[in-house]
Amino acid sequence: MILEDVLHKLAAGDRLTYDDGLALFRHPDVVAVGQLANVERERRHGDRTYFNRNMRIEVTNVCVASCLFCSFAKLEAGAPGAHTMTLEQAWRELEARMDDPPDEIHIVNGLHPDLPFSYYEDLLAGFKRIKPDIHMKCFTAVEIHFFAEHYGMTHARVLERLRRAGLDSLPGGGAEIFHDDVRRRIAHDKATAEQWLEVHRVAHGLGMRTNATMLYGHIETFEHRVDHLLRLRALQDETGGLQAFIPLAFHPDGNGMANLPAPTAMDALRTVAVSRLLLDNVAHVKAYWVSMTPEVAQIALRFGADDIDGTIVHETIYRAAGSRSPGALTAEQLVRLIQEAGRVPVQRDSLYHVVREHPRAVVPEAAVKVRDRKHAKHLEVLP
Amino acid sequence: MSALVDRAIEAAGLADVRAARRAGRCGGADVARLRTADLLALGALADRVRRDEVGDEVLIHAPPPAVSSGAIVLPDPERELTGLDLLREVAIARLTGPPAARVRVDWTRCGLELAQVALGFGANELAGHIASKGGLPLAQGALLGVGKKSQLRPADVVKREELAGLVRRAGRTPVFARVEALAEAAP
Repeated sequence: MILEDVLHKLAAGDRLTYDDGLALFRHPDVVAVGQLANVERERRHGDRTYFNRNMRIEVTNVCVASCLFCSFAKLEAGAPGAHTMTLEQAWRELEARMDDPPDEIHIVNGLHPDLPFSYYEDLLAGFKRIKPDIHMKCFTAVEIHFFAEHYGMTHARVLERLRRAGLDSLPGGGAEIFHDDVRRRIAHDKATAEQWLEVHRVAHGLGMRTNATMLYGHIETFEHRVDHLLRLRALQDETGGLQAFIPLAFHPDGNGMANLPAPTAMDALRTVAVSRLLLDNVAHVKAYWVSMTPEVAQIALRFGADDIDGTIVHETIYRAAGSRSPGALTAEQLVRLIQEAGRVPVQRDSLYHVVREHPRAVVPEAAVKVRDRKHAKHLEVLP
Repeated sequence: MSALVDRAIEAAGLADVRAARRAGRCGGADVARLRTADLLALGALADRVRRDEVGDEVLIHAPPPAVSSGAIVLPDPERELTGLDLLREVAIARLTGPPAARVRVDWTRCGLELAQVALGFGANELAGHIASKGGLPLAQGALLGVGKKSQLRPADVVKREELAGLVRRAGRTPVFARVEALAEAAP
């Protein structure tokens, strides 16, 4: 009955409630929930499915925060595995790819206590010198809040200085789970939920676009997930500045919650679907292939997702947490992945302007074949 | 079940398939039609037929039996399939197979993520090797630590619990096949 109610609400343009969201998460028929989300996805985007040519760089994993779910950060400089790039090292990452350059650089870092603020300004400015039209999507709201506290500035001042240096938009990371019951247990020493939301509010006020995420599948409940999604929806009602929502699956390897199982593919698909249905004011829901594997991301394109993120090139955060997704996919592989899902690939820029619309096609050769994986794993994913 | 799903199945032109199976006319479904039908509607239909015919239990074979012994085992190792292809093949196997068909997905060939999703598209058996994260089969008697404060436990027990959790999280009931009882284990 809940699915009928939701369908009627969607048709009437009525908002889904907290209880609706909870019922969708609890509904036993995940494929039916996916169907509903797919209707909504196709109403908004038809078969169009977005991707971009981007590149991930993590310039430092030194971090003063001690999030339980993080396998990436090393608390102190000089600790085994800790790294901080020099500016020249970071810039070389782009210079080395200038024969086929990305359209976007996505930078997420640890909260390094000893770098001067000018490091980040110079970092941005240097990338812009190398490729003036590159889009710099850098620094989560957690980092922006850390900069504000650490360097004694307001959020607005931090963002204004970074924008002058070349910052274009903010990624959606650091949101984790907003509800305090969870956040104080898994991420007690970084930006609170309100501070995360405030950074995005300020960024939107400055005319910037941002994304939002939710880290699911650890100690949170469905109630916490719905609460998280509705807080994002409320922010979007206020500012309209969120471009895309990205559900991020928790990966347990090498972090403080290694005793927990990872969320399953069913959970990933359900979360994408419910997110699409609840976030009626956010244009795009991403199936982030690094988080959920390319195969499941491809299926998610039938469960409400309309974007599969980008080429990535060099992702380390999820890999540190045990993700077996490849480190990068080429644009051609992403096109094939989308085409095989029966969708129309649309290469976009970071602000969702269309760069190139590819034809719909039935391609006999898969970008990611089931058979490719059979030697790579047996029982690798824990439920 | 939801009328929404009924309508999706009807809109996909598949409403007659379940009725035909209920009337005992199995194997007559037009495979070409199933191959082009909306995937989620096809999956929902296959899931209903699975529930009608074999219920919610999922039989887990770990390790996989040496021969299939009547089960329809997917994916075919000789065919290259995407994840979406696999889900469609599973649904078609359920809809065109004999009554109460044993539709088995081998996670060794497709990964556990897809194998779990396939449970929503008509599969009722899982098979594969219990192995380490590195992909190597776990040695007999190997021990694993589970969590910082836990003690070492037999690896096969831990992995079986994980598999069972995977099935439960798909809303189904796990049942392990007894290795020594598998008549199909050796010719």
